[in-house]
Parts: sequence; C-alpha cells; structure tokens
Amino acid sequence: MNTFRLPDLGEGLPEAEIVEWHIKVGDTVAVDQPLVSVETAKAIVEVPSPEAGVIAKLFGEAGDIIHTGEPLLAFEGEGDDSGTVVGELKGSDKGGEGSREDQFIIGAAASSKRARANRATPGVRALAERLGVSLEAIKGSGPGGLITNDDVHRQASHQKQLGEAEGLRGPRRTMAKNMALSHAQVVPVSIFEDADIHDWPKGTDITMRLVQAIAHACEASPALNCWFDGDNLSRRLLEEVHIGIAVDTPEGLFVPVLRDVNHRTTDDLRQGLENLREAVATRKIPPKEMQGATITLSNFGTMTGQYANPIVSPPQVAIVGAGRIREKVVPHEGKPAVRRIMPLSVTFDHRAATGGEAARFMAGLVNSLESG
Amino acid sequence: MNASVEKAINHTGTGADHDVSLVEAVNLALARAMEEDDSVVVLGEDIATNGGVFRATVGLKERFGYKRVMDTPLAETLIAGTAVGMATQGLKPVAEFQFMGFIYAGLEQIISHAARMRNRTRGRLSCPIVYRAPFGGGIHAPEHHSESTEALFAHIPGLRVVIPSSPQRAYGLLLAAIRNPDPVIFLEPKRIYRAVSHTVKDNGDALPLDTCFTLREGDDVTLISWGASITETLQAADRLAEQGVSAEVIDVATISPLDRDTLLCSVAKTGRAVIVHEACRNGGFGAEVAASIAEGAFLDLQAPVVRVTGYDTIMPYYRNEAHYLPKTEDIVRAVEEVIAL
Repeated sequence: MNTFRLPDLGEGLPEAEIVEWHIKVGDTVAVDQPLVSVETAKAIVEVPSPEAGVIAKLFGEAGDIIHTGEPLLAFEGEGDDSGTVVGELKGSDKGGEGSREDQFIIGAAASSKRARANRATPGVRALAERLGVSLEAIKGSGPGGLITNDDVHRQASHQKQLGEAEGLRGPRRTMAKNMALSHAQVVPVSIFEDADIHDWPKGTDITMRLVQAIAHACEASPALNCWFDGDNLSRRLLEEVHIGIAVDTPEGLFVPVLRDVNHRTTDDLRQGLENLREAVATRKIPPKEMQGATITLSNFGTMTGQYANPIVSPPQVAIVGAGRIREKVVPHEGKPAVRRIMPLSVTFDHRAATGGEAARFMAGLVNSLESG
Repeated sequence: MNASVEKAINHTGTGADHDVSLVEAVNLALARAMEEDDSVVVLGEDIATNGGVFRATVGLKERFGYKRVMDTPLAETLIAGTAVGMATQGLKPVAEFQFMGFIYAGLEQIISHAARMRNRTRGRLSCPIVYRAPFGGGIHAPEHHSESTEALFAHIPGLRVVIPSSPQRAYGLLLAAIRNPDPVIFLEPKRIYRAVSHTVKDNGDALPLDTCFTLREGDDVTLISWGASITETLQAADRLAEQGVSAEVIDVATISPLDRDTLLCSVAKTGRAVIVHEACRNGGFGAEVAASIAEGAFLDLQAPVVRVTGYDTIMPYYRNEAHYLPKTEDIVRAVEEVIAL
C-alpha cells in the first residue's frame, strides 16, 4: 500500500478533524478528486487525491482528529508499508537500502481515542442496552467522563419524549460550523437602505443588476472587497470582485462563486450563474467553485423578507442582503407615490472596515440600482 | 569531522531532507537552534574542539565560535550550575553531560535550583536549560557509562524528562526542548545513536513535548516503551504480527509530565498493556505507567499489566550486559502471558 498523509492545509495548522469521507475502501479515484472534507481551526477544506488509484484503507472516521503528516488513507499498490503497520522503525539498518521515513502518530491513534470514548461500567452498559440507549449519544458526567446510570436514564427519557436527534451531515453540518466560526470571530455591523427601482424596464434581470451594483459599490468603497486576517491583523484589498451567491437547497446552504464580475459581460455572467445554479441543483459542484469569494450576495428576497443581518464569512469582510421587492408609498418629486422598492442590507466586519466605508459602499449600491 | 555530519551541517537552513542517524539529528537540531536564536549556547566536556565523545556537537564551534560553544572543565557541578546562571540571565544553555552516570554531581544544581527557580521567584526568573545526556547500556562501556536512571528525574517536580527514540523525534523534540522556557532533561539513547538512519526534515519544525507517539496501531495489546528499548519492542511487535497478534506500540517520549491520556485510550482499545524499559524494575518509571493504567483504565483491562525490565542490580560489566537488557523474546513471552487471559 501507498500511504497518503494529511498534507499541510496552509497557515501551518497542525491538525484537522475529519468531517466526511467522500470515498470508501475499494473505490477507484482520479487525480484531484475530493477524498475527504476536513475541518481545521479556520475552515472546512476538501482534500484532493494526489494520484489515481484504488483506496485500500482509511485511517480515521468522521470526528477523528488527524495531525498534519499523519496517515490519512492508503492506496493499493507498491509501497513498503504493511497495512496495519504505522511505524517503520526497524531494528537495525541494513545499509545501502535507501532512505526510510519514520512514521508515527502524535499522541493516541484515532482508533484508540474512539475506544476511550463513551466509557461506562458493565452495569451501566447493561442498563443502556435494556433501555435501548446508545452510549455514543451520551456525554458522561462521571469522573473522567465515565457514563453514569443517571446519564443513561436521562438520555432514555429524552429519547422517549423527543425521539432520536438527527446528526448533521454534509452541507448542513458545514453551514453550522462555518456560521459558528464566523459568529465567534467577526464583529458585525449591519446597515439598511431602500433602492427605488420603479423605473427599471420590464423583465430586468434582478440578480444581474445586483451583481453589477456590488461590483460598482466595491469600486466606490474598496475596503469591503477584501480578505481580512484577524489573527495577524492584516488585510488584502482585492482588485477583482468574486461574488459568492448564496443558494438555498434542501440539503443546506451552498455558496458558489461568480468570478471576476467587473470584467465580464452581462450575458457571460448570466450564463455563468446559470451553470453554477445547475451544478448546485445536481450536486455536481466541485469544491473549488465554492472557494475564493471576496464578497457575498444573499438574495433572499426571491422568497420573502425585507431586511436581515446576514453572516459575514471570513476572510471576507461584507455580505449584501437583498429583500423582497414590493410596492410602497413613498415621497416622490414632492408627492406621495406608489413605487417599487428593493430593501437592502449590508453586514460588514467592523474590524476590517469603518462605518463610513460601509455607508459609501451602500450608497454605491443604491446609486447603481437606481440608475436607469 | 565525520563526513555525513559535515554534509548535514552544511545543509542546515535549506530545509532539505537528509538520511541521518539519531546523533546526527541531535547535531542538526543544535545547529538549527543556534542559527535561529543567538541566545542558545552549548557547553560541556570535550564538546567544542573535540566535537563530543559521540560527535553530537561536531562542527558547532567552527560554525558558531568558542563564545557560544564552550568546553568546560571536568566538573559536572560547574556545568549544571553555570547553566542555571546563564539561563536566569537570558541565555538558553544546552549543557551536555558526557554520560548519564556522571550527572549525579550536578543534581544539587539541577534539583535544588534549575527545577525550582520559577517557583522560588514566583515566576520572575525561569530556567530555559536543556541538560543533554547519553544514557542506557549496550555499547560495551565501563562502569558508570550504562545508566538508565530516568525515573530519578521524573520524580522531581519542575523538570521535564524527554527521551527520543528515532532521528526525527530526536530532532523535533530537541528543538522543542530548547524553545521550552523551563528545564528539560534530554536523555539520548546512545545504544541506537547510529543504529538507524532515517529521512529527517531539517525544517526547524519542533514536535510537541508532553505527548506520547503511537508508532504502530494494533488491537490486541499495547506495548509501552521509551528510549533504546523501542528497538526490541518494535521487533517484538513484528514477531507477534507473524503469530497473528496485533500490537500497538507507544513511545512515551516525554516521561514527565506523562501523557496518560494516550496510554489510557490505547489500553481502552486493547485491554492489555506490557511496559518495556531498560532500567531496573524496582521504582522504575514503568511502575508509574502501570499505576496510571490501573487507576485510569481498570474497567478496560483484560489482564494484569506486565513489565519487562532490567534487573534490580547494578548494570553488569560489558561481558554480561546483554543478559541484563530486555530482549525481544522477553517481550514476546510477556505478551503471550497477557494474551492468554
């Protein structure tokens, strides 16, 4: 077997948690095919396959922590690793045999950590079995995390009243983690405004107008088209505007990226957006199509809702929310008039941009939408 | 100068990989640490001009000068105490005891001062010292040259005791020890100083202290060892694999503070533990490991914890030293004993 070890996922992060395997033992994989989603302290990352081959062994399960450089999986074929063997230290050098790498796991193997989880005395185990409670669902309250009789009874009564909890998987799980990460880091401030779009010709492509308005607003206020690094207190103002488009699906939130919107024609952008939506709908969107956004658009108004404080996704600095377009009585040229109004929300990370920059951004957005 | 060491030294800083032995990895780590940090100094007997009796410090004086690579008189108390003075005043000394058997003269300084300085001064002064010493038998040396008294140091609060068992771990752990702000006893298993050569990434990356390393994953029994005995332990795991017994092998690496969690996780999986060390049994560090497993994993155990150790006697002269050291067969036999239950 050929061992593939967890590569450095960037920024020197030393470990990652397996979120979900995309392949199983026996699968044939191609180069760059995503193998596994892992979660680092910063993000959820897809690890692509370094080679084409057949998967012989996976070295962990969802929830296991793997350190950078430790075995992740093995391919069938040539190699000096003998399967269950992780270490390669042999007794003595046989000389002239070429270099050997020294493989080891920092701390306990994932299989050992699992064995130590959900500890309970035989009596408690028997009780759990009798009550039909899975110990894996319980966090022990006893000494050293030992599961107690009370823990089992409590879980049993929860199960009776509420049924089993559904563990989150895939995009819904990713969303939960990323939102919590954002909430823990970002200092969000939201501002709201209305755009009067009454004079738009019939059949105007609303999403395209929004995309172009964001590009225009980014020019007016470049500080919001930016990647911000809160750990090192540094930022990168970006020339090109790549808009993450939030797409709601039954499986959860997807945010494919519409690239370089300030240098493309409307038709080209529209086609690009259609392609992304199609790829999301059929669940065939490659992970790299969902990375690299510089700012995000949440067009929730296609359903309902007016204003919101959508969540900024680091390292991005801003997200634009577009609410439901509706008719509203507003002053117009000195008289009350019924006009079509689009409610707008901009949430920005106040660590990375000033209120003034955000207000100028909003003004740019409204100006672009209200022009012709 | 040893040709391969010279080659390794000249490559320091390039981040390239080399095939090096454990002692060469020590040399690489020292050179890397000295290059990164001007406050790192090296001192000991015959370490500068001569390059050390095992060549661990070869080339350092030529590269970093006599002010940072210092030959000391034959006086271990002085080596230990000078390091305390240097460390409290802003240097990061790496002091070598030529053999572990010579360290006792320095204990007053190590135990009564280095280990206590942070506590004594309420954190105002600390002692970022690494005391290096080759330890263990098996090289046909005379009396006082084959000691394995690591348990003495593990008993002293305020000291870290770190024992590498491969070139990569020697490199990564020595860098971590030097960067650590408190005193570390760094014991180098001299029997395997040149036993194997592995690819070592000389990239300045330290390995974590205070953690065990799992060298092999297995399901039936946990073999726990450190230092040179890792060699026989891995051989025993090979032998057992042929018999259909899947052994997990754990290198404790930092014996104080002990990473009990890794040991308990592994024993929770396997239900059986065999501890292997070269030091004598009575009051050996294996006793602490066994007690920790009894306390923390009693519910998981399928069999009593067994120790395979040296004998409770003074390490014999070299004609008999092979009889003293735990052998591969001893470990296999102990495993067969616990597997039978």
